[in-house]
Amino acid sequence: MKLQRLVSGIASSLSAAALLTFAPASAMAADYVMSASADFTGPFADVAPSTVSGIRAVAAWWNDTKGKELGTNVDIKVHDMRYDASVVASTWPSILATDKPIMHLGFGTPDLITLMKRLPGDKVPMLMSTAMVGLVWKPNGWHFSFRPTYSHEFVGLLNHLQEKKGGKLTIGAISTQTAAGFVDQVKGVQKFAETNPDRFTVLDVQWVDASPVSVVNEVRTLVRQQPDVILVGGTTAQVVATGKALRELGANIPIIMSTHNGLTEVAKGIDLKEIEGSYSAFAFAPDNQEALPVRDLYTKYHTGAGNWGIAAAQSSYQALLALRVLEQAIAKGGKDAVTGQAMYDAMLGADYSEASLMGSLPDIKFDTTAPFPVGKLKVKAQVVRDGKIATLGNDWLPVPDLPKW
Amino acid sequence: MLLPTGVRFENFATEGRYIHTWPQATWLAALLLALVLVPHAVSLYVTGVLTVMFITLMAVYGLQVTVGMAGQINVAQSAFMGVGAYAAARLSENVPFWLAIPAGGLAAALVSIVFALPAIRVKGFYLALTTLAAQVMFPIIVLALPSDWLGGTSGMAVEPIEIGGRMLSTPLDMYYFTLAGVLICSVGAFNLQRTRFGRALCAVRDNELAAEVTGVNVSYYKVMAFFAGSLFAGVAGGFFAYYIRYVTTENFNLLLSIWYLGMLIVGGLSSPLGAILGTAFITAIREAFHALGGALLTAFPNLGGGLVFATSNVILGICILLALIFEPRGLAHRWSVLKAAYRIWPFPHS
Repeated sequence: MKLQRLVSGIASSLSAAALLTFAPASAMAADYVMSASADFTGPFADVAPSTVSGIRAVAAWWNDTKGKELGTNVDIKVHDMRYDASVVASTWPSILATDKPIMHLGFGTPDLITLMKRLPGDKVPMLMSTAMVGLVWKPNGWHFSFRPTYSHEFVGLLNHLQEKKGGKLTIGAISTQTAAGFVDQVKGVQKFAETNPDRFTVLDVQWVDASPVSVVNEVRTLVRQQPDVILVGGTTAQVVATGKALRELGANIPIIMSTHNGLTEVAKGIDLKEIEGSYSAFAFAPDNQEALPVRDLYTKYHTGAGNWGIAAAQSSYQALLALRVLEQAIAKGGKDAVTGQAMYDAMLGADYSEASLMGSLPDIKFDTTAPFPVGKLKVKAQVVRDGKIATLGNDWLPVPDLPKW
Repeated sequence: MLLPTGVRFENFATEGRYIHTWPQATWLAALLLALVLVPHAVSLYVTGVLTVMFITLMAVYGLQVTVGMAGQINVAQSAFMGVGAYAAARLSENVPFWLAIPAGGLAAALVSIVFALPAIRVKGFYLALTTLAAQVMFPIIVLALPSDWLGGTSGMAVEPIEIGGRMLSTPLDMYYFTLAGVLICSVGAFNLQRTRFGRALCAVRDNELAAEVTGVNVSYYKVMAFFAGSLFAGVAGGFFAYYIRYVTTENFNLLLSIWYLGMLIVGGLSSPLGAILGTAFITAIREAFHALGGALLTAFPNLGGGLVFATSNVILGICILLALIFEPRGLAHRWSVLKAAYRIWPFPHS
């Protein structure tokens, strides 16, 4: 049976490859196509099934409900980009020619750096599920994310912790210099501390390998300076190494991380009890939030590989926002006038309320000044309590103003 | 070069030509014609893969000069490519591509001299370590420089190529653009080993003492081996920058340098043909594993993409190992054997 599935899988894959190789285009059954990047055979292959399942489940729900009401439906075309800029550059023209997408659902830095200059010419907006970085904080782009920069997300949590603690919050950071995005995260937080010197201090930044074996020496240097929190926005390996180093040094300092290296991922490499009190900060509703309508519709419409979790939640919200934008585009120009340009206009021309996004995202408003929402940004967080991942309350945490760095 | 029976030369100029026989010229013309026509027969995706392969080949040509011809280990080819990419990106704002790309090559070549200097005193593993330092230092230096120089953490956007008022933006445009580049590099790479410079590099590789005794300035040629190899890498970086249209340090990492070295070893160190065969072979294998990985995931959804990714890399490594065990002189040697067998067929031995 399995052999049969393998053979049919190989056959279908080969025929798909042959189609991709020798046939230029085929007619689409759906009214609209949204293309999506995934990483099935690259470094993030483990989370790809869940990521894609989130997009597909929300699209299925939309087609079954709102789509039926509007008399239309959306087809999601997923492409394996291998998290590689050269693969993105090679694949994108065929996506344009074959899929003719009205929007692209992007994933990670390779999509950003390869497509950001092309999208305005191609007239296809891109909506990311990953957080932005300062390096693409430029006006008039066609690339957007519902998440602000990593630095914004960290700052939202840091602000909350400082208010809770009172006085000055001292921050230590561990990152790597070989990845521009990770350096950028630290620079944003440093800028925030510089502009709020009475409330925050970045004591020190320790630069380590992307996948360190041990960071005991670096953590020891930080611990001596007695930080209230240690920011590790880089890789999962860095968080795991920091957690182990803190244990070896007998120090109990919370680690702050993001989603790509967040608690779910870290739990695979270290017992969460060892990093009790650590946080993961992000600008969307946690997957384990008590009331979460998107999780319910995922459960109902999910088929195939992938499970509900932080990765599926993130991509579900990405698809939900994209479909809300589509609704706006249809409302504005009619069903037959939905193009990439119409989606771009709808994205910038409307506000998307927390209620319309089912509480999964805060109120969202885009303009041409930044590739992420403008106005009052908000974040949520997860925390390790009793060795388990819990939500840090149900309320959104406001993000203070963070000037460009 | 092994030539068919009956081919003889009347003078040195005739012998000096790269193409000696009509069949050779016909095959070359057929190959060129195929390269021109192939994007019209395949999908845009495959056209893109071929474009990236051409860019990679330019970098591997450079490695063939440094490692294959001169015997100097270099594990920083990707970093030198990055130098070329950044230089071309920076220049793309003010100068046309036909100046920016060679300037990128020159910038990479000049930077490589700094890391080539230790080659005068050390060799083997020690030299590998000094070039490794170049690879490690590359992103750190780029990120540490003032951001208005090379974009710092933001990276740099690259202006699209414009020829006669027409932007080269389609996959076909970029394919033909890089094809032209790789053909120019091919002419350079194939002829380099026949020049005085190339023979000096080979002499240094084969026996430094003997080379010195025969009047070859070993130190000079070691440094120049890096210079010439990095020139190719810098040009490849320039093409890459114009293709991706955005450069960041992540695009030029150690893994890529290792892959380039792997491509050259599998193809064969001794000639530019090895660079071509190795680059084509590894690219084909990677694409095949990618397709197979996708099929496996479709058939066994619970397998986990991470496992497929790791396994495909392991299998790719095994392929390289097998290639080295069964054909240590690379695919280029196997090609020569096949060619010789074809020429003397039906006789079994040459």
